[in-house]
Amino acid sequence: MTVSRVPVSIFVVLAALSLVVSGCSSAAPAASAADVDLTVATFGEFGYGPLFAEYEQAHPNVHVKGRVTDFDTHHKGLATQLATGRGAADVVAIEEQYLPTYRQSLDKFVDLATYGAKDLQNQWAPWKWAQGVSGDHVLGLGTDMGSLALCYRRDLIAAAGLPADRAALAKLMPTWQAYADVAERFAKATPDVKFADSAGTIYTAMLNQAPENYFSQVDDSFIADRNPNVRNAFYLAGGIGAKGETAGVTPYTQPWTVAIKQGSFATIACPAWLLTQIREAGGAENSGKWDVTTIPGASGNQGGSFLTVPKQGKHPKEAYELARWLTAPEQQKKLFLSAGILPSEPAVYKDPQVVAKTDPYFSDAPVGQLFAASADTLRPNYRGLRDADVRPEFGRALGRIEQQKQTVEVAWPDALQQARGVLK
Amino acid sequence: MLRGPWLARADRRVTPILFVAPFFLIFLVFGLFPLLYTAWISLRDWQLINGDGGFVGLVNYTKLFADPNFYNALVNTVGIFLLAAIPGMLASLGIAALLNRPLRGATWWRTGVLLPNVVSVAAVGLVFGQLFGRDYGVVNWALGLVGVDPVDWQASTWSSHLAVASMVMWRWTGYNALIYLSAMQAVPDERYEAAELDGASRWRTLWSITVPGIRPTLVFTVVTATVSGLQLFAEPQLFDTSGVAGTGGSDRQFQTLTMYLYEKGIGHYDAGYAAAIAWVLFVICAVFALVNFRLVRRFVGHTR
Amino acid sequence: MTVSGRRPGPIVYGALAVVLAVSIFPLYWSFVVSTRDNSAIGEKSPVLLPGGNLLANLRAVFDTVDFWSAIGNSLIVSGTVMVSNVVLSSLAGFAFARLRFPGRNSLFLLVVGSAMVPAQLGVIPLYIVVGDLGWYGRLEAVIVPGLIGAFSVFWMRQACEEAVPGELVDAATVDGCSLARTFWHVAVPSIRPQAAVLAMLTFMTTWNDFFWPLIVLNNDSPTVQVALSQLASGYYTDYALVLTGATVAVLPVIALFLLLGRYLVRNLVSGGARTFT
Repeated sequence: MTVSRVPVSIFVVLAALSLVVSGCSSAAPAASAADVDLTVATFGEFGYGPLFAEYEQAHPNVHVKGRVTDFDTHHKGLATQLATGRGAADVVAIEEQYLPTYRQSLDKFVDLATYGAKDLQNQWAPWKWAQGVSGDHVLGLGTDMGSLALCYRRDLIAAAGLPADRAALAKLMPTWQAYADVAERFAKATPDVKFADSAGTIYTAMLNQAPENYFSQVDDSFIADRNPNVRNAFYLAGGIGAKGETAGVTPYTQPWTVAIKQGSFATIACPAWLLTQIREAGGAENSGKWDVTTIPGASGNQGGSFLTVPKQGKHPKEAYELARWLTAPEQQKKLFLSAGILPSEPAVYKDPQVVAKTDPYFSDAPVGQLFAASADTLRPNYRGLRDADVRPEFGRALGRIEQQKQTVEVAWPDALQQARGVLK
Repeated sequence: MLRGPWLARADRRVTPILFVAPFFLIFLVFGLFPLLYTAWISLRDWQLINGDGGFVGLVNYTKLFADPNFYNALVNTVGIFLLAAIPGMLASLGIAALLNRPLRGATWWRTGVLLPNVVSVAAVGLVFGQLFGRDYGVVNWALGLVGVDPVDWQASTWSSHLAVASMVMWRWTGYNALIYLSAMQAVPDERYEAAELDGASRWRTLWSITVPGIRPTLVFTVVTATVSGLQLFAEPQLFDTSGVAGTGGSDRQFQTLTMYLYEKGIGHYDAGYAAAIAWVLFVICAVFALVNFRLVRRFVGHTR
Repeated sequence: MTVSGRRPGPIVYGALAVVLAVSIFPLYWSFVVSTRDNSAIGEKSPVLLPGGNLLANLRAVFDTVDFWSAIGNSLIVSGTVMVSNVVLSSLAGFAFARLRFPGRNSLFLLVVGSAMVPAQLGVIPLYIVVGDLGWYGRLEAVIVPGLIGAFSVFWMRQACEEAVPGELVDAATVDGCSLARTFWHVAVPSIRPQAAVLAMLTFMTTWNDFFWPLIVLNNDSPTVQVALSQLASGYYTDYALVLTGATVAVLPVIALFLLLGRYLVRNLVSGGARTFT
């Protein structure tokens, strides 16, 4: 018999081969020197697919690829990518609630002003532009907006003896206090159906209407305990929740979908992009039962994103050009007409085509007009650097109130204390 | 096969090392190094995005031990773990014993029992969210049939722990059953024959022959189940349908240690603090694993 | 016929049927939802009967993400990890069980100790290591860290202890066989069933792994679980779409079960002599 090391070496070679093969299969083909490969990372439906193709045609040496993940993964992933300095796309969309945090990390993003972004300032409404800048540093260019209105179920409102007509309902609830009073009336008339979806939604809508909430716009200090806007919003929303007038469901969750389908609540503060979700969750049988009217306080914004350019990218200038083109008025109009994405630029949302838009699912409500009006009267709302850290504490406190675990009087100081704890 | 004595000696000495080397190589690079690096991070003020803020000694740890949320997460973690692991292991043993028979269509039974572990985590979250829904969930509907008021499963500590434990059990019982089943196949027939001659009942056989016969596997699965149970993340994370990922309910009633780690590290960007949580979790896992290791060896006698 | 060999009665089948029903129901329900649309989630009581929307949903799934590619990637990843784990841990297990070498016991203790390291522990450093190796967004990032694990080593060591006769190994070495050859001719035939089980377990857990791939992969080469998260993108989730994807994702694993499932059948005839200790 002869010495045979063959079996062992076969294993080693096989294992090595498999590594090599898998390496080869995902290796990218070499690009020519003048070619520029850009990746755009977004979440959800930005509608950029056809736009990429159009851009590539106009710029033959540029290849654009989209990278789409879900909302949470996208933002959590971005944190990891910035932390380790690798893996981020060339253009990254960031939603408004995450943007303030990155004001602490401006060095990780290209200052778009260096490529002339400041000249674009007047394209957007002042409050939208303000969200995307930090001092002189232009962090991101605005994409869409989450202009707020009030969506409601005509049949449920009517069943409680309240006027179901858009204008009449809006007149009945010009302020949030009036909204709370109507909630009481509604609960007395039809106790089985809730008036609102959750205290949290009401609270957030109110917060975004004020110029500042948790942090001072002067020096970013924590002012939630002294700021009457926050206290009023918390007490009002908490009060509605404590009386059991909310369904206690958060949007984008399964219980919320069920509640929409079953008609468990009558009103919800709805940003423009929520309409699609209501339609999908409600299904065909609820078509025509919904309607849209002006929100108490007449204006508001929730959501909306910005396109940013992380510094780690290889082609910052080309990435900026792409971002600028994607957020230009012509493109924003295209996106609205094709995918219903609400533009954040006055030139576009005041365009007759946009203003004329109605939605059959929502009883042909003039959604274009409603959302445009809501955006126009909105004033800038300052969010502190650590806004995202502190916000959940208050949302959770409202949740506890709705679950009857705490009263409003107990939950308020509790929330403040927890918020301070997070900031330490 | 003739070979020189030198070659044979070299082979006997070197080849075993070559055989075990791959594991240690992979572990070194992808297991040990991250472990040590995490320890290093925990001694510094390390913000996730902005990077290293300098050496701070044990500050992260002292903050952690004074943090009520940490203890809350600890209690939750141990509670859910015990609630899921004890019935789960027993159920796995039982199912394995049932499957360890000449069944008709054996492969189908065994595949079916394994299926829960194969279903995507995303789907699992949705399904159990529906099952334990407050308003229209199946469980509440079934409870209604016997006159019990609907339970808001997410809201209170005990109910959320029960729900999460049932999720964990659903996913992992079949998997452990398969492991036990495979181990049971190796128990020699002679022992069963001897027991039968002695007139032992099935129940007695199970506990006197089968279970001791798979003792090493039992011990190891208890250790690994302890570690993965204390690290519980996916199931409670998915159960939190309120959309605020990672906080385990409005009162953190089902937030586990790993969820807290995630909230602090990737949510609040405090990587130093998260690293401290990770290391404390590691120590807790090791302690519990050791305790369980001892316990199982003590209570399951061996027939070797 | 042994005690375990007597034909099982109706009670056994009944109990198993209950277990099966509980195991399968959620998968069945997600299949039902994948044959309907999103509003099916919102029904008062869970919908139990399939609808007619399956084809539309399937088309949407494959249009929204490159699902074929994702399945292919998952097959590559799970397949490679499966083969590698079985091969490498068989070698290591054989060494720990039947070979003598200095430090054997302490090294094995280290293997068991490494099982106590929580997986989530070193996510950030691991991400850095993987990035430094240039593997971000590539399949190597999910394959290489998983090539061999403590559980596999333990499992195959157990297998070798039980099924590989020490006397035969000694006899072969005395005869002048190299250790590699001994492994191939003595150990491998005896440990096939356990190897098959390990293969199945490894394939399963790798296929369903979602936490790490989600962090380190993107849609350049996603695995199935990463692709599923793309289906769930947006401010909201199209549940019907996600569940359709999830149902499709299960099929390859079921196929593997049916292939390797027979190894779970009691193997009365095994290679080599059985030890009686």
